[in-house]
Amino acid sequence: MRLPTFVIPVLVTLALLAGYGLRTSFTRPTTVQTFAKGTGATATFVVDGVRCKGTAMFFSSLYEDIPGILGIETFATERTAVFSYDPKVITRDRIQAIMETPIPFEDGTTSRVFKCMSVR
Amino acid sequence: MSKTKSRYLRHSMLTIVLGLVLYLALGFGSRSFEAYCPFGGVESLWGLFTTGEFSCALGPLNLSFLLALLVLTLLCKKAFCGWACPIGFLGELSARLGGWVWKKRPRIPAGANSSLKLLRYAVLVVALFFTCRTGELVLRGYDPFFLIFSGFGHGSVGIVSVMVLSGIIIGMWIVPMFFCRYLCPMGAVFDPFSRIALLRVARDTSKCTGCGRCSRACLHDIPVQNLQTVRHRDCTNCLDCLDACPEKDALQLRAEL
Repeated sequence: MRLPTFVIPVLVTLALLAGYGLRTSFTRPTTVQTFAKGTGATATFVVDGVRCKGTAMFFSSLYEDIPGILGIETFATERTAVFSYDPKVITRDRIQAIMETPIPFEDGTTSRVFKCMSVR
Repeated sequence: MSKTKSRYLRHSMLTIVLGLVLYLALGFGSRSFEAYCPFGGVESLWGLFTTGEFSCALGPLNLSFLLALLVLTLLCKKAFCGWACPIGFLGELSARLGGWVWKKRPRIPAGANSSLKLLRYAVLVVALFFTCRTGELVLRGYDPFFLIFSGFGHGSVGIVSVMVLSGIIIGMWIVPMFFCRYLCPMGAVFDPFSRIALLRVARDTSKCTGCGRCSRACLHDIPVQNLQTVRHRDCTNCLDCLDACPEKDALQLRAEL
């Protein structure tokens, strides 16, 4: 059966849109850290610097000993971190401040590794 | 769609895709530009099966793109490569630039061309082996997509990455679609699907004069003028052969089982 040539770009566009639409079916966090049991508020931060599993684990480790943080899920490709926290103990602004605090290195220098792009 | 419009449309689509990937690569979007790589979907499969997690910087978009593009390849061959792959586009631009530089481009003999294409299967095996073994994208430093759009970012291996990318760019000037033909592991994944694809260019032998313009227009050196239907695994359905054909309806896009 003969077909018009515009079928190809139409199918390519549909495939790309379908691929984009299907992504939610496969969503899995890059890392999941649970520090304390319980339910609290959640906040989603878009964080520049969370790029892969390694950086996501390093990012989560910043909150290991912070009171009020119940858990963190990171999504590297979306550069997002979803915090579960106790709003009576810690605020969103404090969570953001911690991630943006310059990190001291062994050679005596410091560097800001993560930057919050937006909060949802 | 007229003959010239198909190439304009294709280049417009490719420019939009290139722009979107650059937009993400420059940090404007909320996700990494690597999310657009369907080969990431292939690399993530092992991690998903064994640990239920994506490897390194890979995510759901890599996998969903992979599945959608495998279906697309079953329908219309490697149309993704010709219509929506930024590296394919850069390869095509390099080939056209090379076409102005070379008066007569050196041609790779057919036998050597076929043998060299086996390299992409080797790249596929090596990439999967190391990703499965380490859970990291260890071949990032040799991947032109990553090196170009990350600007030799985290994961590149210094001078070696520069040499690899330079080699690929020089190769693309000399041999059209050098990377796609010989080194692209995604092409190797698409190959079996492409062979049995539904939509193909077909030649009407009663109308064809055998001028050979279709074969010369093909950047993958597919001998279209000698084929009844183009079942070749490397055909991207770019439709350049249809654009080049001077005879009305001698080449057509057809759906055939």
